Amino acid sequence: MLVQHLSPIASSLFSLLAIACLLLSFVMLGSRWLNNYLYAFAAESWIIAVLSAAVGFYGNYPELYLIAILTLLFRGLLLPYLVWRIIRRLDVDREIHLFLQPSTSLIVGALFVMLALSVSFRIAAELHLQLTVATLALTVMLSMKLIGFLILALRHEAVSQILGLLVLENGIFLGSQILVPGMPLLIEMVILFDLLIIVACFGVLVGYLMTHAGTTSSLDLKRLVG
Amino acid sequence: MYERSKAAPQDNPIAPVDDVGWSALVKGGSFPMSERDILLQIAQVLTTMLLAPLIQGIIVQFEERIQRAQGPGLFQPYRDLWKLFHKQIVVPQTASWLFFAAPVVAFTCMLVVPILIPVLTNFPLPLSDMGDILGGGLILTLGSFMIVLAGLDTSSAYGGIGSSRAVMVAILAEPTLILVFVGITLLAKAMLPFVVNHLLVSSWAVYWSPAHLFLVAAFFILLLVETDRMPIHSSTHIEVYMIDEGRILEYSGPLLALIKWASAMKQFILYTIFCNVLILPWGLSVEGTAIGAAGAAVALIIKFALVACVVVFVETAQSRLRFFRYQEPLAASFLLAILSIVGTQLS
Repeated sequence: MLVQHLSPIASSLFSLLAIACLLLSFVMLGSRWLNNYLYAFAAESWIIAVLSAAVGFYGNYPELYLIAILTLLFRGLLLPYLVWRIIRRLDVDREIHLFLQPSTSLIVGALFVMLALSVSFRIAAELHLQLTVATLALTVMLSMKLIGFLILALRHEAVSQILGLLVLENGIFLGSQILVPGMPLLIEMVILFDLLIIVACFGVLVGYLMTHAGTTSSLDLKRLVG
Repeated sequence: MYERSKAAPQDNPIAPVDDVGWSALVKGGSFPMSERDILLQIAQVLTTMLLAPLIQGIIVQFEERIQRAQGPGLFQPYRDLWKLFHKQIVVPQTASWLFFAAPVVAFTCMLVVPILIPVLTNFPLPLSDMGDILGGGLILTLGSFMIVLAGLDTSSAYGGIGSSRAVMVAILAEPTLILVFVGITLLAKAMLPFVVNHLLVSSWAVYWSPAHLFLVAAFFILLLVETDRMPIHSSTHIEVYMIDEGRILEYSGPLLALIKWASAMKQFILYTIFCNVLILPWGLSVEGTAIGAAGAAVALIIKFALVACVVVFVETAQSRLRFFRYQEPLAASFLLAILSIVGTQLS
């Protein structure tokens, strides 16, 4: 396993990048403008691409460079561009009704990070992972998943829900890059295409919602239509 | 001159990570209560007293220049203090003894805190074992608490508004401050600012660790909040949303001068903690010579000018928020402090 023998520079670089990702998902959680979500998501994907390249460099996995480039193109450019097109088509540019104010949701997110930390300490103890980068990767992965769920639960706009789903997926991808970097290339490509399909489906769904329900907010979708 | 070169190689035999007793930090083992150290300690307090208005002037001047105005000049706060000390005191009829006691207590508190922190030297001086970081925080808060009481004392409407707002912000800022202190403690395994300074100077890995960077970010937001530079204020100070100005509207003459001087010193102290303990721990006097202390004072001004640039940039670039979003920067700061504690647990 790569994480068992890392140079100190590599491990601090990995932890810095992972924590930067976590911070960007908090930016998504704390802002209310859809454009800001999108920029934060794009930046997060770029950081994950850098992280894959770094893992490839320090762990001698040449195929990870390819994955880094694919991540950059798909997650960093194509997906944000598609979501940006959806946002441009809509006439909403921010969340209007919020369950929780941004400051409160930041605090809830911070509590989730603490939960993730304690859980990943337990997991690391079970798996006998001595190195802290592994624990950090687990923590960041779990807390990004929890934050993604939080975004899915708290936001009503369809676009924010797509982005919540994408954050959730980014978290898993980040954790897998650090913890199991030798994942076969094919699986990675399948995941990327899956994401593309998800966003395309959401685009179709948003268009459908606009024409039939006149809104993209899940708050207004209360009536069952046969 | 700048003493950075001395600090680097032949450094003091201090290993901040393993258990650093108080005695390990003091040169020669036990406390040498030499006259030089006592003089240095007095110099620390005097530096804080005399340079605090200059820092205020630098920030105001930078702010005006960035808005393409001429600005009042770097030394305007000194002229203001001089003017106020030569005016007579007007006391409201409703004021009690607290009205007179509060400025004096606040000023005295600000004179005590520089004893506890590394202003000029990077080793502890006599009496700096009176309190650790929490003790310093307590005394700083005592100063603002007295001003809050004085604002309520005169029973004027603005004083009440200012005091209640200040307390509300303090309630939100205080847990974050405590968390930042906890983060510092976990990072350096000690609650003494000198130990943190030595640790950061000696190890780049700790300096660039996420835990430390998050602490810097969290403390920077607290710095903005505590020096009354939250993004909810406009650039003029007396306005509807004033917090600190509202509490002292009833004061005049020398008492007002004392309060203004005390708040400038509070700003100086917070900047000192931010620079010398957290972000720029270099450039302090190592040997404790007179020229080293003078160089440290010059270095301090340079560091503060750098931080003031950043503060002014943030204040200018950040658009003004609605008043009732004042909790958002504090929530962000709380979050950063928690992330830093998570970082220290993992390093």
